[in-house]
Amino acid sequence: MKYVIAGYVFVLSLLFLYAVALLWRRRKYTRLVAAADAAVGSPGGVGPVGAVGVPGGVGAVGGPGGAGGAGGGA
Amino acid sequence: MSVQQQSPRAVWATRVIGLSALVGTVFTVWLGLWITPPDRTQGDLVRLVYIHPGVAWVALYVAFGLTFVASMLYLWPRTRSFFWDRLAASSVEVGVVFMVCTVVSGSIWGKPTWGVWWAWDARLTSTALLLVLSLGYLAIRRVPAEPAVRAKRCAFAALFVAVDVPIVHFSVVWWKTLHQGATVLNANLSPTIHGSMAWTLLLGFVSLTLVYVWMLLVRYRIAVLEDQLGSGELDVALAERRAEGTTPGPAPRPLAGADQTVEEVTA
Repeated sequence: MKYVIAGYVFVLSLLFLYAVALLWRRRKYTRLVAAADAAVGSPGGVGPVGAVGVPGGVGAVGGPGGAGGAGGGA
Repeated sequence: MSVQQQSPRAVWATRVIGLSALVGTVFTVWLGLWITPPDRTQGDLVRLVYIHPGVAWVALYVAFGLTFVASMLYLWPRTRSFFWDRLAASSVEVGVVFMVCTVVSGSIWGKPTWGVWWAWDARLTSTALLLVLSLGYLAIRRVPAEPAVRAKRCAFAALFVAVDVPIVHFSVVWWKTLHQGATVLNANLSPTIHGSMAWTLLLGFVSLTLVYVWMLLVRYRIAVLEDQLGSGELDVALAERRAEGTTPGPAPRPLAGADQTVEEVTA
């Protein structure tokens, strides 16, 4: 019976640990994307980009960041 | 760039699948360890049948089957989309976890049954090869490249890996091996297991498939966020480089001319 227990423990533990790792990674990436989004959108965060008016660049994506960038560049 | 929120329906579906997978797995373990009878030949060792074929089913047929289909759909010009690329990559990663479970639980079963942890048997060897090839796929995925180049490269790699799947399946038919033949997916499609053991085995298959689906959904979401973050970082880097190109910088250093020696320039 010890082999049976060992088999169940290994499989269930590995699946559980991987599931926890997946949830942790999802939370980490959600936060990273949100932080990057906030950085792009913040005034002055991408000042030089907005200042030079890169078409389709970060300023355009960030909206308010583009305006902030233009101000920073000026 | 902004965080693309999942729809409430998708969040709800993921949670329901996750909860169903958890409940199903708990029931499988309960039935497998306490309720089902021991086997006449193998005794209590037969209880490993409720998880080992289940994880093998997911790893071999579900995960790599989906990877194969998704890779084909990516390579087909009419259906080419990064959705298929992300789906294939997510499926391979989850499949590798199930493949490790398959190999290790099989080895644990093999020790008391065959007397050895490992034998270079056709089924075991082809399964180990599939695991190594899958790790190779994940390694290729991490090689830096343009997203389209990476996706195409990985799709071809997936097709190469998928060649091993039928070899694993038919290995017990083509060669006389230590590993037993298929219990459920045999040539006649007539399961050689009955009663509570058959129902518990079926529940194990369904539960572990649900576990896979839940993991796939979460892993796919991570892949979307990774791509979103990667493209955002690329946007910032490109914009910064463009900005550097147009902003007046320091005066260029003079090149070595006729009136300068190499020592003066390097100094």
